Amino acid sequence: MLDPTRKAIVFPALAVAALAGSSAAGAANMTDQLLASQCAQCHGTYGRAVAGMDSLAGESAGEITNELMEMRSEGRPTDIMEHQALGYTPAQIQRIAAYYSTLSRGSSSGGDD
Amino acid sequence: MPITRRNLIKAAGAAAALAALPGLVRGASLPAPRKVIVVGGGFAGSTVAKYIRLWSGGKVAVTLVDPSASHVSCVLSNLVLNGRMTLGELTIAHSKLGPYGVKIVRGQVTAINPASRSVTLSGGTTLTGDRLILAMGIGFGSVPGWTDRTRIPHAWIAGQQTAILRDQVRGLAVGGTFVMTVPKAPYRCPPGPYERACLVADILKRRGGGKVVVLDGNPVIQAEKETFERAFSGIYGGIVKYVPNATLLSVDNANRAVNTSAGTFKGGVVNLLPPHRAPGVILNAGLVPAGQSWAPVDPLTYESTLFPGVHVIGDSQATGQPKSAHMANSQAKVCADAIVRYSQGFDPLADADRTANVTTNSACYSPITYNAASWLTANFRYDATSRNMKLVQLGEADQWNSENYEDMFEWASNLFTDSFA
Repeated sequence: MLDPTRKAIVFPALAVAALAGSSAAGAANMTDQLLASQCAQCHGTYGRAVAGMDSLAGESAGEITNELMEMRSEGRPTDIMEHQALGYTPAQIQRIAAYYSTLSRGSSSGGDD
Repeated sequence: MPITRRNLIKAAGAAAALAALPGLVRGASLPAPRKVIVVGGGFAGSTVAKYIRLWSGGKVAVTLVDPSASHVSCVLSNLVLNGRMTLGELTIAHSKLGPYGVKIVRGQVTAINPASRSVTLSGGTTLTGDRLILAMGIGFGSVPGWTDRTRIPHAWIAGQQTAILRDQVRGLAVGGTFVMTVPKAPYRCPPGPYERACLVADILKRRGGGKVVVLDGNPVIQAEKETFERAFSGIYGGIVKYVPNATLLSVDNANRAVNTSAGTFKGGVVNLLPPHRAPGVILNAGLVPAGQSWAPVDPLTYESTLFPGVHVIGDSQATGQPKSAHMANSQAKVCADAIVRYSQGFDPLADADRTANVTTNSACYSPITYNAASWLTANFRYDATSRNMKLVQLGEADQWNSENYEDMFEWASNLFTDSFA
């Protein structure tokens, strides 16, 4: 009846190596971890995305910060990330970026640009 | 008057008083949690189970109770109606959480005892945790005359109901009328009803015509207002009839008609989105004050303001954040972080840095036609004055297009994976 072409849901068997390597972080690190985890709905658990979405794990802190700060400065936000970037303070953006820069890229099918 | 818990409650109202006295009744005085029971394996429950295991390094035991072996996602389920998705593609086994060490118990929770942080299953089994996390989604209020959910489906909890509605729409005669009701806000998925109206209108339009009557219990469209107004009057002009302020009064099953404050409407298919509230088992447990519909919680931990050690996340709680899967995942992480801190002997409520950085967000895509979508996004930040989450950013797509439609699957793939696997 309708155009049969469409994208599929990508669903890997297991996105991360479960509990290996996870451990109790200090309170400040836990806050960074909590802040950053709010990116994972779209960018993957621990920043390791699937289905072509940009991964954040292992990216340079400077690059993530610059990109988000640039998005914040758009006069009139037009895409989702330009809006999302406005939801965080510059200090929060730096913390999120620093957190992801410390994580290994892992193995997933996400993009990295 | 001495400052006692009772007097404060009298003076200031229960929620405000309890929020002002974190150490008195809230979870800080409970022992560090070693074992947590999660009720419900949807986006909220699965996410909190997974992240407690991850962030505690496996030190906090998590048991997840759900009546089914799998969850059927409401996200993308309107695309089952036009055949773009199958229910199978939206069905996710709870066993995917197994590698994290989450213990899955299949069972229907028939009673919650919040004082002992325990739940009773239909077989009589009782499960008790140091913390109880309720992630049970929505319940429906009663609608006079609505006796047959097969003849008049809601399809607002995905699964068999979705298939029933799909088949009814397929069977609707050319030129036939599809009638749907939208409950008073807050309800699950603010843009969802209007998205559904668009997709059904698209089906009918391609098939040669028909009518979609949207009976909204609210005065205006509740999300992506400009987008949906443009779709209703533009590409679906002559098909969609939008009726605001149509409070649902009763249903006539036999004649497939709904009686509203704006009149009686009869359809070849009637899709009833009934009034929403927290599930009955949550109401029965006393977690919702009389006369209210949702469970009050502290958004720093999602702990009930009425019972220490009981947390409510996702659609059942009363913070006023949008009831969506993406938000449910977001809230689950705040709750998981709080519980892991308690397990390590820290009080999350005493950590000013954490409090200043509790954020949640939502992003969602709304298909408007069979191959074009719009989107909506929002960010919330904890506000110390109101002691609630405050909207700090809200945005929506300028237009619906095929690029958004394709992005929708990238978003859903990541949201599903972050929540369930």
